Amino acid sequence: MSLPTQPLSVTINGRRYGPIDVPEGMMMLDVLHEMLDLTGPRLGCGIGICHACVVIWDREDHTSEEVRTCITGAGFFDGKRIRTIEGIARRDDKGEILALSPVQQAFLDQFSFQCGYCTPGFVMAATVLIERLARAPVPRAEVEATVAAALEAHICRCTGYVRYYRAVREVILSTPGLTREV
Amino acid sequence: MILQRRGRAVLVIAAVTLVAIIGATAFALQNLLAGKIGGPVQIVNAPADAVARGKYLAAAADCAACHTAPGGAPFAGGLPMRSGFGTIYATNITPDPDEGIGRWSAEDFWRALHDGVRRDGQQLYPAMPYTSYRGMARADADAIYAYVMQLRPIKVASPKTELEFPFDVRLGMIGWNLLFLHDSLPAVSKGRSQAWQRGRYLVNVLGHCGECHTPRGMAGEMELSRSLTGFALGRVVAPDITPAGLAARGWTASGLRAFLGRGVARQASAFGDMHLVVALSTRNLTVEDLDAVATYLLGDDPLPTRPPAIDPAQARAAASGAGRLSYVALCAGCHGLEGDGVPNTVVALRNNSTLRLADPRNLIVAMLDGVGSENFPHRQNTEVMPAFPDKLSDHEAAELTNYLRVTFGGQKGDVTAADVRALRRK
Repeated sequence: MSLPTQPLSVTINGRRYGPIDVPEGMMMLDVLHEMLDLTGPRLGCGIGICHACVVIWDREDHTSEEVRTCITGAGFFDGKRIRTIEGIARRDDKGEILALSPVQQAFLDQFSFQCGYCTPGFVMAATVLIERLARAPVPRAEVEATVAAALEAHICRCTGYVRYYRAVREVILSTPGLTREV
Repeated sequence: MILQRRGRAVLVIAAVTLVAIIGATAFALQNLLAGKIGGPVQIVNAPADAVARGKYLAAAADCAACHTAPGGAPFAGGLPMRSGFGTIYATNITPDPDEGIGRWSAEDFWRALHDGVRRDGQQLYPAMPYTSYRGMARADADAIYAYVMQLRPIKVASPKTELEFPFDVRLGMIGWNLLFLHDSLPAVSKGRSQAWQRGRYLVNVLGHCGECHTPRGMAGEMELSRSLTGFALGRVVAPDITPAGLAARGWTASGLRAFLGRGVARQASAFGDMHLVVALSTRNLTVEDLDAVATYLLGDDPLPTRPPAIDPAQARAAASGAGRLSYVALCAGCHGLEGDGVPNTVVALRNNSTLRLADPRNLIVAMLDGVGSENFPHRQNTEVMPAFPDKLSDHEAAELTNYLRVTFGGQKGDVTAADVRALRRK
């Protein structure tokens, strides 16, 4: 028995993949895990609730947003550019990590996570938030509420969120251009 | 409820004429009405069983749905109901002497339900469904009165209703009532059984189902000749719930009992305003009353249900079109490639009642806005359905809608990009 397939061409972390034949109905998360060896995005709930599986979709208009890959078919990503957790740190030509992103470093510094299962999703959400604030800064007084709203959908079962939220808040407050006085 | 905007011009003329014709009479009537302000605070010490009966009837009549503001105290009023004429606010019906109905007698309460007249003699607007409650038994009205009068009084002022001239002239409603207030609403099905009689009372009077499900005419009145045949209110259509309409969408008595009693049935799960109806009202009905409602809606001899009439040629065409690609990309992750859903978690689309509606708007709005996480009795719940306003263009959403309608609903694939654009949130 053979499943019908759809061709998928997608740019992930700056690298072009495809066209590859993807069985119809395969979710993007399975394509990343099983076909492209990108195992960073996590399968949690499988029904779009926990957000451990999100990747960043870089849109044509230079905005970025989170997309849940456990409930989004591979076909949605055909011709699109995305980033996974593997593409967030700065790497050299051989793929060795040169420097973590400020968000990743802050999560380590603040001991934001324990088991780490949800961490790729939180990194994605925080990265998208910081990119949004670079385009549209918020008043410093609103940073706390902004962080809470941006990370709210992500579920963590170990830490109670406090250290995640604190880490993102501190990155935002210490990075020029993301906030304004009023 | 929301009155139609399209009838507005005609209604202006009708209302002005009415106001003029009955002006003199109304002036005299106003004095005759002998409205009361002030007076003693009513102390009602009804027996516990009367209060319990009133609580049940208040749930069946779904008073709380409108008389509670979002996040507000139950029955303390404040819910805005927007219409083409302005905004009407539901009032505080807790027994607070000043802000609620603490000085109202059982007689005053009865007049509001039966005649649409407030204690102070002013006319109510039919946003308060006295048009349906008029058929209520006096004993039932008194029981509801006994129940609400022992609620905790909440000192919250009701916002002032904001209607434009001439609709702000409450006396105009006297003319409206002469034309449109009827002692009983017509039966929508055939039946004689005791359950059918009880169901008619529950549906037409207490449940006031027709207030949303019956089309409204130019003056905002229920068009009783088309009772329960469904009505579109802005972005939402209240479906046809006549025996023929229900049978055409696969509704059986057991399906209706499950939907109204638990919010989830094989045919659909309750969402939007209907979820509120289930959560506050119908879930509280006894098994006998649920059965009565189903008996009345379907009739003593229900019509046979049919599976969707799916056109094989159209279905084949849809299966190789862009709508199918969107379905696989955005919907199939939860609803399944074949539309079977996930038991107890995600509703099935195959045979889904919403996809079998000729009017596509509920389906389109669900895709554009998503559907919130809903809790149901017996610890059932559905998770959030994401909104797809920016992942689907008007054209893509139309093609997806048509794919769903043709493949799972047996409906026409006639939705256009313009239809989707018109339903986008402003």
